[in-house]
Amino acid sequence: MRVLVVEDEPDLQRVVAMALREDDYAVDTADDGEEGLYKAQAWDYDALVLDVMLPKRDGWSVLSTLRETKPTPVLMLTARDTVPDRVKGLNLGADDYLVKPFELSELMARLRALIRRSKGQPRPILEIGEVRVDTASKTVAVRGELAALTAKEYCLLEMLALHRGTLVTRTMIYDHLFDENDDSLSNLVDVYISNLRRKLGHELITTRRGQGYLIDD
Amino acid sequence: MIRSLRWRLQLWHALVLFIVLAVFGVVVYFLQWQTRLQQIDAELDRTAEVLAMRVRRLMPGPPFGRPPFEGPGGPPRFNQPGQPFPGPRGPNNMDRGNRPPRGPDDERRPPPNRPPRDIANDQTAPGPRGPNPRPPQFDPNNPSGRPIDNPPWQMSRWFDDVLRRFRDFGGPRGDRPGLDLPEEFAHLFEGPEDRRMYFLIWNRDGRVLEKSASAPDLPFPALHVSENDLPVRLVRHRAHFREVVLAGRFETNILVGRSLRHDIGLSRRFAGMLTLAAIGVLGIGLLGGWWFTGRAIRPLETMTKTAESISAQNLAQRINITETDSELGQLAVVLNQTFDRLQAAFERQTRFTADASHELRTPVAVILAQIELSLARPRSEQDYREALATCLRASQRMKSLIENLLVLARLDAGAAELRLEKVALDQLVGEAVELIQPLADQRKIAITCELAPVTVPADRHRLSQVLTNLLTNAVRYNRDDGSIVVTVSEEAETAVVAIRDTGIGIAPEHLPHIFDRFFRVDPARSRSEGSSGLGLAICQSLVAAHHGTLTTTSTLGEGTTMELRLPRGAKPPAG
Repeated sequence: MRVLVVEDEPDLQRVVAMALREDDYAVDTADDGEEGLYKAQAWDYDALVLDVMLPKRDGWSVLSTLRETKPTPVLMLTARDTVPDRVKGLNLGADDYLVKPFELSELMARLRALIRRSKGQPRPILEIGEVRVDTASKTVAVRGELAALTAKEYCLLEMLALHRGTLVTRTMIYDHLFDENDDSLSNLVDVYISNLRRKLGHELITTRRGQGYLIDD
Repeated sequence: MIRSLRWRLQLWHALVLFIVLAVFGVVVYFLQWQTRLQQIDAELDRTAEVLAMRVRRLMPGPPFGRPPFEGPGGPPRFNQPGQPFPGPRGPNNMDRGNRPPRGPDDERRPPPNRPPRDIANDQTAPGPRGPNPRPPQFDPNNPSGRPIDNPPWQMSRWFDDVLRRFRDFGGPRGDRPGLDLPEEFAHLFEGPEDRRMYFLIWNRDGRVLEKSASAPDLPFPALHVSENDLPVRLVRHRAHFREVVLAGRFETNILVGRSLRHDIGLSRRFAGMLTLAAIGVLGIGLLGGWWFTGRAIRPLETMTKTAESISAQNLAQRINITETDSELGQLAVVLNQTFDRLQAAFERQTRFTADASHELRTPVAVILAQIELSLARPRSEQDYREALATCLRASQRMKSLIENLLVLARLDAGAAELRLEKVALDQLVGEAVELIQPLADQRKIAITCELAPVTVPADRHRLSQVLTNLLTNAVRYNRDDGSIVVTVSEEAETAVVAIRDTGIGIAPEHLPHIFDRFFRVDPARSRSEGSSGLGLAICQSLVAAHHGTLTTTSTLGEGTTMELRLPRGAKPPAG
């Protein structure tokens, strides 16, 4: 999962990005509204963490401009907690609202729920045959036994599971698994796929040669 | 006590209306009564005159005229027997004189050689004698007032003659000679008791010569005849009778009267109608008053409603003003202006609170998130150090913010205590420049000082705070290799500190806001440099507490000049 954090307070931006990375997200950051809008429009992020009070272009403006082209789920971060402020944010198309100061665990939980909902998977547990993916605890069980997956392997599986029944291209995988600073080798995805097949069973993931991968319904 | 303005107005209105109507009614009633009495009097007068004329026609020739006042040898003034009395109504007398009944009367006329003086005395004497007009010569009770040369028998004879004639016409009309009242005239003395008139005719003795059938028994009206022998007219009330007395006409007193009972009845009915009309007018007046007060008060009611509906959530509402010229319109204008100020103050306060909370929330969010992240799993010492450093930065920002907010709150409340002393302004500015010099050196900014020695009463610490803040801004918003010129000068009443930089300047649209709390021309830049957006607001509040002024002139891209003016005078700044 790849997330953009738009926050002008450097310390807060750093801490939030770090926390998300530790939670196996690929994280991009932006310091002001213009940069945030540019990045949000340039990439397909799984979610946006957007501060309201931003230099150059405030969060409301970024949100409304972004909504003209992209349905990326947006979690607004703001110090303004009055009802009119919240209503304004939600009316402009924010998917969730978090008032500063917030707790990181709440931010993570809301972000997970936001991404899940946006993929049309409201339940936190995805079941694919004998494989059971718990997106809340980020664990995978095969026939009731926990499978030992690395963070990237889990992210890939979760992505394929959330897009169940549709083709996931290699580009999409790269976009969503690695952040802007990651310069991974292209065959890394193949390695993750073979690892997943080895750990969870070979028939789970179908390969469309030259196109991408797919978990069948 | 009635609280409603409308009811009170109505009550006063009713009171005034009632008084006006009552006074008006009473005046109208009396006027109509007076008019009625005048009409009655005129009627009575007319009747009395007619009677007097009739009486005169009965006169047995003039027994005397106005007598000569000279001796008995004077020429006689009156006519020879058989000749008609040559009065002003000659033709009448002529008729009367030709009538057959007059023949036998002639012989009873006083002899022509009767001394006329007596008569003269008789006629003129009662005047000067005072209030008792009764001719004394015929009053046996009062013989003393008589002049000696006026033998009583002569006058007595004449009056007997007159009396007899009157008696003669006391009988049925037409049978005998008498007053010979015309039919329609006699009619006045007939009819119901409260409408008909009555008359009595006395001779000067008080003997009733003639009276109408309707006449009550009345005592002789004791009238005195005026000195110059003119007839006297008297109008009087007797019980509910109105009477006119003509005295001294042809030696008779004629009284004509009538009952007022009928007129009193009419007047009472008139009064009743007047009362009914007044009640009607009062009713209509009160209804109109109620309507008018309602109309007058309606704007007040709408104002009250609007003012009631204005609350913290709904400050934008205003009283709808249709007519600004009226008193209520002016009140509405004033109220609306008050609401404007209230709204502005409220919005400022709301913005300030929101800004303050925003500024405080961000460092708290940093601390909270950082600590949560650090505790999530074991970390290296380096990570902990970084985490603690982050928390320290956030805490320091909160501390400075809270301090600034407290300073502002104290200044707002007027509770900031200034420890005033004589401060050498040039020295203070010099110290502040020294303090800021390292910062300026970093960016190769040259600071030039032109300091004239001036002392002002000020709080050294606070003033130094202001100067440092202004100088910091001058450095922060300057360009590299720029310059700052600091001058201290004195004017008549004020000391002036001007700090001119060659920085980025302030756009005209931002200029009015730079002293607003939490206002930042460029939030990103200020935030990164640790500014809270309160510095200039605090400066201005502090300067205001010193009774000074802080003004800015700026050209975008060329630089900004901050001018600080402080009073030098003995006027001790309050606070």
